[in-house]
Amino acid sequence: MKPVFLASALLATIMTTAAFGQGAPIKLANVAELSGGGATVGTNWKNGIDLAIEEINAKGGVLGRKLEVTHADSQSNPGVARAQVQKALDAEPYVLLGPGYSGSVKVTAPLAAEAGITQIMGGEAAELTQSGNRFLFRTSFGQQSSMPKVAKYINDDLKAKSVAIVWVNNDFGKGGRDVITKEFAKYNIKVAADISTEAGQADFAADVSKIKAAAPEAVFIYVNEEESARILKELKRQGITVPLMGETTLVGQKVIELAGDAANGARGHVGLTTDAPVELIKAFRDKFVKKYNYVPDHNGLKGWLAIYMIKATTEKMGKVDSKGFADALHGFTITAAKEPGILMDATFDANGDIDRQGFLAEVVEGKQVIKQVLPKLNN
Amino acid sequence: MTAGKYLQIAFGVIVIAALIVVPMNFNRYGLFILSQWAVMTIAAMGLNLTLGYAGQVSLAQGAFVGIGAYAAAIMTSNGLPLIAALGVAIVLCFAIGWILGYPALRVQHHYLAFVTLAFSTLAFLVFRNEDWLTKGIYGISNIPRPEIFGFPTRRPLPFYYLCLGSLGIVSLAVWWLIRSPWGRAFVALRENPVRALSLGIDTRRYTLMAFAIGSALGGVAGTLYAPLTQYVDPVPFSLALSLDLLMMVIVGGSGFFFGPFLGAMIAVLLPEWLRFTQGYYLMLYAVAVILLLIYSPTGILGILDRYMAERRTKAASALRAVAKSRLETAP
Repeated sequence: MKPVFLASALLATIMTTAAFGQGAPIKLANVAELSGGGATVGTNWKNGIDLAIEEINAKGGVLGRKLEVTHADSQSNPGVARAQVQKALDAEPYVLLGPGYSGSVKVTAPLAAEAGITQIMGGEAAELTQSGNRFLFRTSFGQQSSMPKVAKYINDDLKAKSVAIVWVNNDFGKGGRDVITKEFAKYNIKVAADISTEAGQADFAADVSKIKAAAPEAVFIYVNEEESARILKELKRQGITVPLMGETTLVGQKVIELAGDAANGARGHVGLTTDAPVELIKAFRDKFVKKYNYVPDHNGLKGWLAIYMIKATTEKMGKVDSKGFADALHGFTITAAKEPGILMDATFDANGDIDRQGFLAEVVEGKQVIKQVLPKLNN
Repeated sequence: MTAGKYLQIAFGVIVIAALIVVPMNFNRYGLFILSQWAVMTIAAMGLNLTLGYAGQVSLAQGAFVGIGAYAAAIMTSNGLPLIAALGVAIVLCFAIGWILGYPALRVQHHYLAFVTLAFSTLAFLVFRNEDWLTKGIYGISNIPRPEIFGFPTRRPLPFYYLCLGSLGIVSLAVWWLIRSPWGRAFVALRENPVRALSLGIDTRRYTLMAFAIGSALGGVAGTLYAPLTQYVDPVPFSLALSLDLLMMVIVGGSGFFFGPFLGAMIAVLLPEWLRFTQGYYLMLYAVAVILLLIYSPTGILGILDRYMAERRTKAASALRAVAKSRLETAP
């Protein structure tokens, strides 16, 4: 009797352990800009993550296990980001999420790589995925893939040969400016004016008069949302009528709301937008608005996608394997047909860059209208 | 030596031993935060010298940390040893601090704060816009950690010991300084510059000196900050850092030797402890600091100081009362 009892006790223990192992939540760690200069970026990113996790858990989780995430605030400071990522990695998460600022990504990526943990981040600076880090993945186009499309459009469709560039002097703005300047050189497009502005700048009168004096055939605007709206108003006030081109932010919903009439006619390349003519994205937007009471920007989408990247990759592997995650995601195409949460088909290349369709949009009578759908680069 | 003195020494030894032994079991995050505390303490000690002892308000200490950090980042990523960068940072910050001290000869208090604030902004713009030197907004990444006497400090624990050791050396130097005639001259400058002048203290020279030495310590902190985070960009050295350091000095207790130690502890560790409150941690941190300063405008050490003073007064009045009663009962 005794040995049977012991054996059954042992068996029960093993079974409960196994069941516990099966049911234990998958731990994710998010480090993002929840305060400081990048608070909008980080908060959107965080809300997107929470929304996706809530939805996935409501449907039974990933491979039967629930997802669980911890959020840490980097205060938009690379030094703090480093400390928080260190802390997150010490807890051995399945995947690390964030940060959104490229500088903070730069300081934390080596730590995640050293720990062998995959990092899915929001940074868009071109160089991030070019240093051979196998564990780093984007959720949106890097500037090296979005800017060529903008330059091509300016050359082919707008046929502008001289362009004024207005950019915000932080790593995001400067990165975009550097990439597009190189692209313009390829098409022999002259940079008529190269204007750096400050984050949070309120008055663009002097900058716009510089543009006016340079008399370009088009203006490329690469600043944050509020500043986009302000400069659009000022351009209208000073009567500049040449085409205005932007990337993602310029034709966003928030800019249209803030700039009013002045936003009409602005065009832009949009990698991720909640206004995209895609049913799944519209559904996402509705869910987001229902939960948080505001329309997310592309960072909200990025956070959401990061979670669905994890879900799709884990299901592809068929197991929760932190070490094998990065290899499984390299070269992986996630289709919206199979995983609706990914919203649009996306392929991840060997560098961790994303390939996905993009859009060219124009603001017509206060609404973002998609004029062209740019297909994926490699089908 | 009195028993109190022995007690103080014993307490000091215990704290130092704890700082060496306890972190051995810490994870990388804990060591990073402690190293950050050591680095910020050095910078705050510099400001304490300028503000607490010599009474000159400066909002530029963050900029000096930046200068030190960039000196270290640029030189060590070009293969030069950190000790050379340290030398350059000290000389550079000392010289710039000396020059920045000149306005202090003409303006005081908040006017002086504005002059140093302008310098802080200027330094930020130089870090950001002089691409050829500082790599601008992209910052400098992969800053190597140094080898000290052949020991690599790449791992978090050895690097923490480097920061702690540097803090020890700086503390001894400052301790000596404030007990030297210079330190007394600084205090004289703060308490009553006219009287100091009439006593033959060259107030002009000492004002400049207070700025220069304080700034040089900012530079020392910077040379440790760069290899600590292994990445520098202009943003961390904006005005916010200067204000943060100012807060550390005031919260800890301006003009107290141990003020910066406690102040940096509050500024670096308290927000980390409060992180469990998620979105509220910065608010709670701010409220805690406000309450502390309402309760004790002279900082944490001000509370201790008040308590000690009260005890001394009580003891003295007790003695007086005894003496008085003896006098009265005397035949």
